[in-house]
Amino acid sequence: MAESPLVIENLTFQYRTRPEKAIENISFELKPGEMLLIAGSSGCGKTTLARCINGLIPRSYRGAREGRVLLHGTDVADMQIAEVAQTVGTLLQDPERQIVASNVYNEIAFGPENLGLANDEIFKRVEQAMKRLRIEYLRERETFNLSGGEKQKVALAGLLAMNPSILLLDEPLASLDPESAHEALEVFRSLADEGKTVVLIEHRVEDAIFAKPNRLLYMEAGQVKYLGAIDSLPTEINHREVKLPAEWVVKRVHQMGVTPKKTEPAVSEAGGTPLVVFENVDFRYSDETPLILQGVNLQIHQGDLIAVLGPNGAGKSTLVKHAIGLLKPTRGRVIVEGKDTQSMSVAQIAHTLGFVFQSPTHMLYAPTVREELEFGPKNLEFEEVDIKKLVAASVSTVNLKGFEEYPPLGLSFGQQKRTTIAAVLAMQSKIMIMDEPTAGQDYSNYTHFMDAMCRPMNGSKSLVAANFNATLFITHDLDLAVTYANRILLFGDKHIVADGRPEDVLKDFDLLMKYRVRPTSLLRMNVNLLPRTGQFLSAEELAAYA
Amino acid sequence: MNNNSTWEFGTRQVVYGAIGAALYGVFSWATNIFPLPAAGNVTFRPAVAVLIFFGAAYGPWVGLLAGFIGNTLGDMITGWGFYWNWSLGNGLMGMVAGLVMAAINDFKARPDIMKAVAYGLGGIAVGMLFASLTEMFVGGIDFNTALVGYFVPAFIGNAVVTIILLPILMIAFAGVAARRGR
Amino acid sequence: MLVTWKYRPRNTFIQRLDPRTRFIFMACIILALTIPEIWDYRLLLPLFLLSLTLFLMARIEWKDMKRAWFYIFILLFFIVGLNALLSGRGGPSSVTNLPSPVLFTISLWADRGWVVQITVSKVWFALNQIMRMLTMALPAIMLPYTLDPNIYGTAFKRMGASDRVSFTMDLAFRFMPTFARDLTITVDAQRARGYEVEKLKGGLFEKIRKLAPLVIPVTMQSTVTGEEVIDAMDLRAFGTAPRTWLKELHYAPRDYFMIGLGVAIFLVCCILKWGFGIGGFFVPDFFTNFMIN
Ligand SMILES: Nc1ncnc2c1ncn2[C@@H]1O[C@H](COP(=O)(O)OP(=O)(O)OP(=O)(O)O)[C@@H](O)[C@H]1O
Ligand SMILES: Nc1ncnc2c1ncn2[C@@H]1O[C@H](COP(=O)(O)OP(=O)(O)OP(=O)(O)O)[C@@H](O)[C@H]1O
Ligand SMILES: [Mg+2]
Ligand SMILES: [Mg+2]
Repeated sequence: MAESPLVIENLTFQYRTRPEKAIENISFELKPGEMLLIAGSSGCGKTTLARCINGLIPRSYRGAREGRVLLHGTDVADMQIAEVAQTVGTLLQDPERQIVASNVYNEIAFGPENLGLANDEIFKRVEQAMKRLRIEYLRERETFNLSGGEKQKVALAGLLAMNPSILLLDEPLASLDPESAHEALEVFRSLADEGKTVVLIEHRVEDAIFAKPNRLLYMEAGQVKYLGAIDSLPTEINHREVKLPAEWVVKRVHQMGVTPKKTEPAVSEAGGTPLVVFENVDFRYSDETPLILQGVNLQIHQGDLIAVLGPNGAGKSTLVKHAIGLLKPTRGRVIVEGKDTQSMSVAQIAHTLGFVFQSPTHMLYAPTVREELEFGPKNLEFEEVDIKKLVAASVSTVNLKGFEEYPPLGLSFGQQKRTTIAAVLAMQSKIMIMDEPTAGQDYSNYTHFMDAMCRPMNGSKSLVAANFNATLFITHDLDLAVTYANRILLFGDKHIVADGRPEDVLKDFDLLMKYRVRPTSLLRMNVNLLPRTGQFLSAEELAAYA
Repeated sequence: MNNNSTWEFGTRQVVYGAIGAALYGVFSWATNIFPLPAAGNVTFRPAVAVLIFFGAAYGPWVGLLAGFIGNTLGDMITGWGFYWNWSLGNGLMGMVAGLVMAAINDFKARPDIMKAVAYGLGGIAVGMLFASLTEMFVGGIDFNTALVGYFVPAFIGNAVVTIILLPILMIAFAGVAARRGR
Repeated sequence: MLVTWKYRPRNTFIQRLDPRTRFIFMACIILALTIPEIWDYRLLLPLFLLSLTLFLMARIEWKDMKRAWFYIFILLFFIVGLNALLSGRGGPSSVTNLPSPVLFTISLWADRGWVVQITVSKVWFALNQIMRMLTMALPAIMLPYTLDPNIYGTAFKRMGASDRVSFTMDLAFRFMPTFARDLTITVDAQRARGYEVEKLKGGLFEKIRKLAPLVIPVTMQSTVTGEEVIDAMDLRAFGTAPRTWLKELHYAPRDYFMIGLGVAIFLVCCILKWGFGIGGFFVPDFFTNFMIN
């Protein structure tokens, strides 16, 4: 067919349940082999646009749709689902939730099976798809214990088996560590080179441009703010909404003449009596399985703001679970405030040490925020009066005032995150540990969150510094470590391979690469300017030097 | 999204039937392994509240599949084998509870919760009665044993759990539904 | 707390059977004992030995099963112990009424005069009941260890179930480990907030209510997951056309043999029971005799 694969003509959509439009007259056209990068903050309508392209709107989602979405010349609304499925392949954000079969082969075959194709045809397609993504070695595996990156490749293979001409990728990098993310981007690029039309939705523009998209579509509040080439830096794009390369941010800050507030880092008071001590800790999950931790030694001090970096599956979560006693060492000791965790219950340790799990949905249960926050203190058997005070205090600290009687499960993701923090605050723990506090959130959300948590605002101490003696967070986002931490733990090969100030640890790029941590533009710029700055800064702050 | 046609059986029902079954299986297994405090030979399986909830939220087919498959899976991973009449009983339990779906429009509204609980109890009665009576042929027990030894304790246990947990589940669900699509 | 199917490929007669054969055979045994209500030890014993042999032929490693056996025995104990022996209610009313020598009497609350007489017939019934139960259960007990979880859907489809129902089966298997893991994470997350499942305070109802922090998060997350899975399946054309099920299943002679055997057993039981009145419960004379003298 002569028509371009995808044409969108002033498309508008409003969900039946919503007063406002989710997206408003969007128009663009894509040629075969073209890659479009769609960026924008959470709630700006990216997924809605995607649903319009793959036909879920108007099919599954009710609402008012105006304009047209043409796939090879026919409107998606007039096509059979089966047709659409063979034209557009959609990769959802979380592969874990999109994989429907228990083993890899069946997962890839799922689509073709639904089309009722003949067996040998299906075999052919599955083999091709696996070959294309070089995952033949996974064919026998159970989907459940694949790594994040592998899961995604399998999901993608499942789409390729349908031979779509358009690939629609909705935040495909969200659940991957940087290295796997780059592998994925390389794959996307090569698929475009083969003539597939690729729509890549991603708020981490800095990473996405690695796939050399031809054009960038930037959205705010459901409307197109910018559509055009990427190299020429468009000032329409707000560096606080999406993650841009440090150079762009600096340039933009100069152009707009924003004067960023300079921040002094929290200081670690090493030397004082350590709050938590690991003494040659070994750990294995069961006698059959190999050691996950081996000879780990670690001291957490007053004032520490620690970022833990390391590859997927290295054992970061396993490490921190020892601090709160969810896991007990196989050999060696873990000491919290002078007591051996062997002799303490998790509940006892919780008095000292608060642990925030990655996904709020794993702990939120109460009908109201207030009851949610009272849960911890009640378990620790605080006095009723104190509980009231503590809850009130922690609510205002994370500025959730006014939401006390609101159902936590009804809050936005960002608010839910803050609720989980408040829950720990209310327990008056002295140390806070966060396992990947930002995973699965979009850039603007998590920078706002981390700023609120870790950034000293106008003179006063930062939230964590004011409320906790020490804070530790695991992250895959190197920039968070660069911007917020005053101490870095690099974890790999079963133990801590580097421990020290960001300025010292992070300048060794070879070491980082060895443990699948990719230096970012922000880090490079910081390292270059270090002689003049004397400390690592956020991109905005660097503008004053660059 | 949620089309309230009670007897529809499409992708939606398949997915929630399966998810309900998996959850019911996992929860029953968990309580088989770590039994809750029991009174007499009444055992309490919180899983039942989840099953009833899936019925109420997604309809009779989902309830049936979740109950039947879920109970089967639960027994299987515990290592108990397959007891068709109890699996079927559990299926009926969820199915009858599912008849209330169309009648619910607000999951946190008292009257609607009442309705759901009522249907839930109905479902438990039907399902457990079926399982207990068939046990007369399967287990070779007499009518009294079926009634007093099997039905009554099973009914009481499941009813208590449902009355306590179902409302909590429904209220929580109202919150989730409120932020459909983030 | 990881749910894992202890399935392992093994080169045994049992695992070479077509999955359908195993379901059908299982059904035959169950029907043969339940429909004509077989209780005669002369029928139960051979059938029990048959089930047992098949079970042993599956060569399931003890270490895989020792946990399971523990729960099986709990189950047996409750059914037999409580119903058959203690509350004389166990079994066809005949059991209790049979004039039968008393072995010994257990007195619970003798003051209330509640004493239980353990009679020969009760014991004998208990034995039969165990045998009967295991005969029906054994074929199913070995399934998780000897049948590839990925085959259930296909098997049901090939036995005439609809695409949708068959796939529900597969999808359920797919999600079980996921939710088991979610549950583990939730347990950890709540423990980190000082919640202790082991020592919940309050009365029974209070205890049940306090399970909410575990039940709610897992369940609610699953409802959200559902919406995404629905989209994912619609986007891959699920249910738009009659589905191809990749895996072919073929009956081999051994399958016909097993199915034949199953059907034969069923028929024999029916004929004996309804044709010749053989198969009901009874206590062999030599017992009672031997008891009396
Ligand atoms: N199923 C739905 N029903 C009602 N409103 C919805 C639905 N899905 C999304 N919305 C609303 O439409 C708007 C756009 O949401 P959308 O998911 O498209 O944004 P997004 O850019 O994908 O956000 P994110 O980056 O968090 O994925 C938001 O206000 C959202 O609350
Ligand atoms: N409950 C468990 N039982 C057995 N093995 C486990 C368990 N949890 C984790 N593991 C294994 O321990 C290793 C370390 O897991 P862990 O989650 O600590 O890594 P991680 O550094 O947190 O990875 P990620 O960055 O993906 O979160 C992995 O190989 C994982 O498979
Ligand atoms: Mg989205
Ligand atoms: Mg982790």
